[in-house]
Amino acid sequence: MKTIFLVDDSATILLSISNILAKAGYAVEKAGNAEEGMKKFQAGVKVDLLITDLNMPGMNGIQFIREVRKLPNYKFMPILFLTTESQQEKRAEAKAAGASGWIVKPATADQLLNTIKLVLR
Amino acid sequence: MDELTTVFVTESREQLAAMEEALLQLEANPEDSDLINAVFRPAHTIKGGAGVIECNFIVAFTHVAENALDKLRNGDIKVSSDLVAVLLGCCDHIGNLLSVLEAGAAEPDEDLRAEGDSLLSRLQRDWLDAKEEAPAASVQPNRPPVEKVDDVQASGGGLVETDFWHISLRFGAGVLRNGMDPISFLRYLSTLGQIVHIETIPDAMPSAEEMDPEACYLGFEIKFKSDADKAAIEAVFDFVRDECTLHILPPNSKLADYIALLQALPENTMRLGEILVKIGALTQAELDDGLKQQHAVPPEEGGEEASPPPPLGEILIEQKVVQPELVEAAVIKQKQVSEKKAAEARLIRIQADKLDRLIDLVGELVIAGASTNLLASRAGLSDLNEATSLLNRLVEQIRDSALQLRMVQIGETFNRFQRVVRDVSKELGKDIELTIAGGETELDKSVVEKIGDPLMHLVRNAMDHGIESAEVRQAKGKSPRGRLSLNAYHDSGSIVIDVADDGGGLNRDKILKKAVEKGLVQAGVHLSDQEIANLIFEPGFSTVDKVSNLSGRGVGMDVVKRNIQGLRGRVEVHSEEGHGTRFSIRLPLTLAIIDGFLVGADRASYVIPLDMVVECLELQAHATSSGERNYLNLRGEVLPFIRLRDLFEIPGEPPKRENVVVVKAAGQKAGIVVDTLLGEFQTVIKPLGQLFRHLRGIGGSTILGSGDVALILDVQALAQIAIGREERSLAAPSSVNTPRISQV
Repeated sequence: MKTIFLVDDSATILLSISNILAKAGYAVEKAGNAEEGMKKFQAGVKVDLLITDLNMPGMNGIQFIREVRKLPNYKFMPILFLTTESQQEKRAEAKAAGASGWIVKPATADQLLNTIKLVLR
Repeated sequence: MDELTTVFVTESREQLAAMEEALLQLEANPEDSDLINAVFRPAHTIKGGAGVIECNFIVAFTHVAENALDKLRNGDIKVSSDLVAVLLGCCDHIGNLLSVLEAGAAEPDEDLRAEGDSLLSRLQRDWLDAKEEAPAASVQPNRPPVEKVDDVQASGGGLVETDFWHISLRFGAGVLRNGMDPISFLRYLSTLGQIVHIETIPDAMPSAEEMDPEACYLGFEIKFKSDADKAAIEAVFDFVRDECTLHILPPNSKLADYIALLQALPENTMRLGEILVKIGALTQAELDDGLKQQHAVPPEEGGEEASPPPPLGEILIEQKVVQPELVEAAVIKQKQVSEKKAAEARLIRIQADKLDRLIDLVGELVIAGASTNLLASRAGLSDLNEATSLLNRLVEQIRDSALQLRMVQIGETFNRFQRVVRDVSKELGKDIELTIAGGETELDKSVVEKIGDPLMHLVRNAMDHGIESAEVRQAKGKSPRGRLSLNAYHDSGSIVIDVADDGGGLNRDKILKKAVEKGLVQAGVHLSDQEIANLIFEPGFSTVDKVSNLSGRGVGMDVVKRNIQGLRGRVEVHSEEGHGTRFSIRLPLTLAIIDGFLVGADRASYVIPLDMVVECLELQAHATSSGERNYLNLRGEVLPFIRLRDLFEIPGEPPKRENVVVVKAAGQKAGIVVDTLLGEFQTVIKPLGQLFRHLRGIGGSTILGSGDVALILDVQALAQIAIGREERSLAAPSSVNTPRISQV
């Protein structure tokens, strides 16, 4: 079973996405902010994909992606970030930081799962 | 209903009317591709709108109808009167579905659903399945229909082998480092279709020493078979779009579809690139790239910086993102669009009740203005008088402009009858041609809305009873094809709508016999032609022995009369036995404010609609014959007149000098004798209450500047009374010169 790591400061989004993922047969790891996420990565959590929000208090999503990519174990792990239609420049910035792709909010469950299918090995 | 739904319903109804009109024209010109598009477009728009408001039952129904229209457009099926009939049925059904939506129901009821299913199964059986095995899967609006690709039969009949998308892909070096695996894109691509052939291009691979194991050097040339559109295919590579080189060329068969789509595009001004994106031949990303390149053209080697940037079309072709044929077709479309746009009138859509409110206010303004005017003239200050008269002139202009806003052309209402005549004549087995004239005549919106039903009765009656069967017509030496005409025109302050047929005319003896049978008149009583014609408007009167589906139930003509009277109008019938009947509906121009002529009798004031006033003169005692006879000599013409004092039984002696207002109604002149002439007056019509509906000679009331109420005279009725009295006093029992007109 593939494990997906979800990092977002909104409890609602964490819950709604993890519900969709769990229903689709994925195992889900969750973190409420980037610092908490970093701690899990440093502890060597075994995940196949990271999905992170960009706007978070404390360390923002882009810094977070950059930090994760520096860790040798996660150099080639797919990373998706959550974005909106209007955040076009943020998208390029996140890509440059090492993200693989993005999910545009609001997304239907199908869109979400299709994107995940695309990037998961 | 929320706003979005309301807008959808209104728009869709307009689309349906347009579709119906186009269908009827299409039947006559089956080869006209503009008309086919004009039929397709409304269906397409309605389906799209229904999708947005998530009204699934409309989407589902419209979808199949749209498929059929699509085949029609592609020339796969031909226009036939059967097909037009079914499609007209579809129009009606969509109209019903819209009503269901309007009523707020979640689903249409059983009957309606069954009706829809039977229409769809006819379409499916006779037109869709005949050419295609599988029913069409969900077609993306605005995209090439998928069936076309699935059809491995080319137009020539042979199997088409080369009909694949061609995708040329070179990955950027950083793909792996961003956590992406090239194989995932290929795998994901295969969820959209089938990768028929793939060639791996390792040319970018450097020698082993220089090679970075974390970089990606791969490229692919892919033959891809898919129903997906270009944007969907491109979306697969969204995440690597920036760093890879990607060209997607559509299969050849798509070209024709794209060009067909181009021609069917709605008429908005668009730029070349936008047009191509709209039909799906180009994706937004490709367009953006092309534009970037257009504006960043490096200066020529010789340093000729002044050379203009190359056209976008050339860049796109060079970049291998579109085929040259498409660019050419799009350029043509672009020209058409800009030409058409210039001709289009600009319209604003507003809610009718806002307009009504404006008219009400203007009415109050007119009354208030009259009152100011009165006070000013009493005050006798010339400056004030001048100012108020200017104000008055402006108010008059505002009044006219405001009323003009409510005026709509009768043409749209008339055009509906093309369909009615077509359907009914088929049903009756008669060949009837409808001619329409005066469609541009304008009428108050509320009148236009309410005139439809009475017109419908008259038209159906004319077809059913008026026009004879082809055999009878031929026997009479007439053309076998019956003629029915609708005509609207202005006539002395009213609008007249004529419904005329060239049928048998009213049968005098038959009407009389029936009337006696029904006890409407007593046997042996002599009736004038006019009185006999009048009988057909009596409740429960019908001369047809067999009750047909259409009319002949004997309800109808009396309802017609009542409806038209409700609009302050009249209906007249002119008939010539053997040559046809003409019903003339005479309607007031507007229902709200008129120019009036104010007259006085005793202490009360009355308003005569100014359009009907011909002249005013003093009543000279010697011009009238002795008190008994009410007519005078108007320059050698006999003018019957009526005294308001007599008519309304106003007590007291008339003044020494009386005046006659000569009025003309429906072509007949009559005089109205009043005490005083008070001049022109803008009259805001206030209806009389139910209690006074039966009063003859009074059409409404208005409020004067002084606050007094004045009654508006119903001139036509007064003229009738005057003429009628004269006739009766002349009354030899034979009605020699009775006009062949009856007023109802």
